[in-house]
Amino acid sequence: MQSASSTGTQRSAKAQKFHRLLSLPTVDLAALRELLWSGAPEEDPKVRAQSWQMLLGYLPPVQDRQPSGLQKKREEYEELRRRHYLPVEAEAPSGDVDGAILRQIRLDIPRTSPGLPIFGHQRIQQLLERILFIWSLRHPASGYVQGINDLATPFVVVLLASELDCLPEEINVDAASDDTLDAVEAGAYWCLTKFLSDIQDHYTSGQPGIQQMVAKLREIVHRIDQKLYDHLEEQGLDFLQLSFRWMNCLLLREFPFPCVIRLWDTYIAEPLEGFSSFHVYVCAVFLIYWSPQLKQMDYQQLMLFMQKLPTGKWRNQEIETLLAEAFVLKSLFHSSPNHLNPR
Amino acid sequence: MSKDDDYDYLFKVVLIGDSGVGKSNLLSRFTRDEFNLESKSTIGVEFATKSITTNGKVIKAQIWDTAGQERYRAITSAYYRGAVGALLVYDISKRVTFENLERWLQELRDHADPNIVIMLVGNKGDLRHLRAVGQDEALAFAEKHGLACIETSALEATNVETAFMRLLSEIYTLMSSRQITDADSFRNAQPAMQVEPVQAAPSRNGCCP
Repeated sequence: MQSASSTGTQRSAKAQKFHRLLSLPTVDLAALRELLWSGAPEEDPKVRAQSWQMLLGYLPPVQDRQPSGLQKKREEYEELRRRHYLPVEAEAPSGDVDGAILRQIRLDIPRTSPGLPIFGHQRIQQLLERILFIWSLRHPASGYVQGINDLATPFVVVLLASELDCLPEEINVDAASDDTLDAVEAGAYWCLTKFLSDIQDHYTSGQPGIQQMVAKLREIVHRIDQKLYDHLEEQGLDFLQLSFRWMNCLLLREFPFPCVIRLWDTYIAEPLEGFSSFHVYVCAVFLIYWSPQLKQMDYQQLMLFMQKLPTGKWRNQEIETLLAEAFVLKSLFHSSPNHLNPR
Repeated sequence: MSKDDDYDYLFKVVLIGDSGVGKSNLLSRFTRDEFNLESKSTIGVEFATKSITTNGKVIKAQIWDTAGQERYRAITSAYYRGAVGALLVYDISKRVTFENLERWLQELRDHADPNIVIMLVGNKGDLRHLRAVGQDEALAFAEKHGLACIETSALEATNVETAFMRLLSEIYTLMSSRQITDADSFRNAQPAMQVEPVQAAPSRNGCCP
């Protein structure tokens, strides 16, 4: 197989910067955050995977510790797999909570496809099933909630592409050894776990995290696009209606998959307190992007339009514009927090 | 305005039932004559409309398709408000989706208008070789609870139109019999349903024709 990673001389300037940083004995995480915020080089799948894993605390930043660190994490995951998964592998017992969770996961696995054929592959489906089931047992306050299956897919794709050293759309699952898939599974599990830890209250009873995000989105839009806000109010369109899925699936359902990966570069690169506050600004900018059209629509048109936004042809460029505007917006509100206080 | 907005009545209808029973495909089959074998799970609620004609009146159905998973109830139950009809869907090949029907009826009792017209829909009729719920059982359940019932296949496009048409006609009939002719109350997004509890004989509609 031809390597997707470019050789030194052909590397883009962006890839070179990443390589320089990642090859240091101890990687400067703040510098890595800054670089990844503007996107990983698309032509170099290993760079993205390394950066994601490092910033999500899976891959140690000290090079000497990487082999042992990864080994330990993989063993921990193997142990979780042994403890939680095997006893129920055969069938989902009816009646108990774990059985109900497994049944739900098994319903959703075949319909988990971010537009990539690899998710129709049995080995990937089983891998995803284990990740979701174990995650859900380890997080009983929320358990598995529909949509979390979507959120696991970027990690599977990015790590698998890196292991096979190919572009995401070129992944050939049959070419992956069992050991490769085990490594991807453990990595995706830990990365997902860390990523979701910022938004676990999205999925607990009553979904309070989502309610809060929606309230904040409403407030931001009220401040910066009063006309749109008034129009939506007038039409009786609730913000929860229009943005619930955006919050629940972190916009993953709204963009082509490559755009989601690019979006998540930035989310993962967001400062330590997590991406969730930034996400609301991204949603605000995304909503206001459609403002001219939305203001012409009645309730029904609004609902139908918002359900299926015309983003099918979006590329990284549109995502980057969105991110840049969201950054400006966030800075604006953060420098004058009273903007967001209730009047 | 567009022709689409030319209607006599606007009925809000909800699609409820366990995850994976085919609610979204019933909706897409009815409103767009489409079926997607790989449709993604519904997150929260989705919405579609279709206008039909019954008794010379144009009825616009505003249909809310809800996520089936329990965690979403807090979000989805808010949409029951103002609904005048419900399609309560189970999968004829998955017994547990039938066993959960009582819980769904309770959801409707807790959150919907007491006069809401409910139709029981046994979907995935194409999976007859995997049938796990008998037609007689479904009929008995429907009769016990005073519901109309029908079996459908969104995949084969069997009875889907009929299911929606019967529900909408029944709502219309009940409404007219109560002399509620104030169309305005049905023109806003939250019509006030003011009919008596469902008396229509479910056996007349018959389960599974």
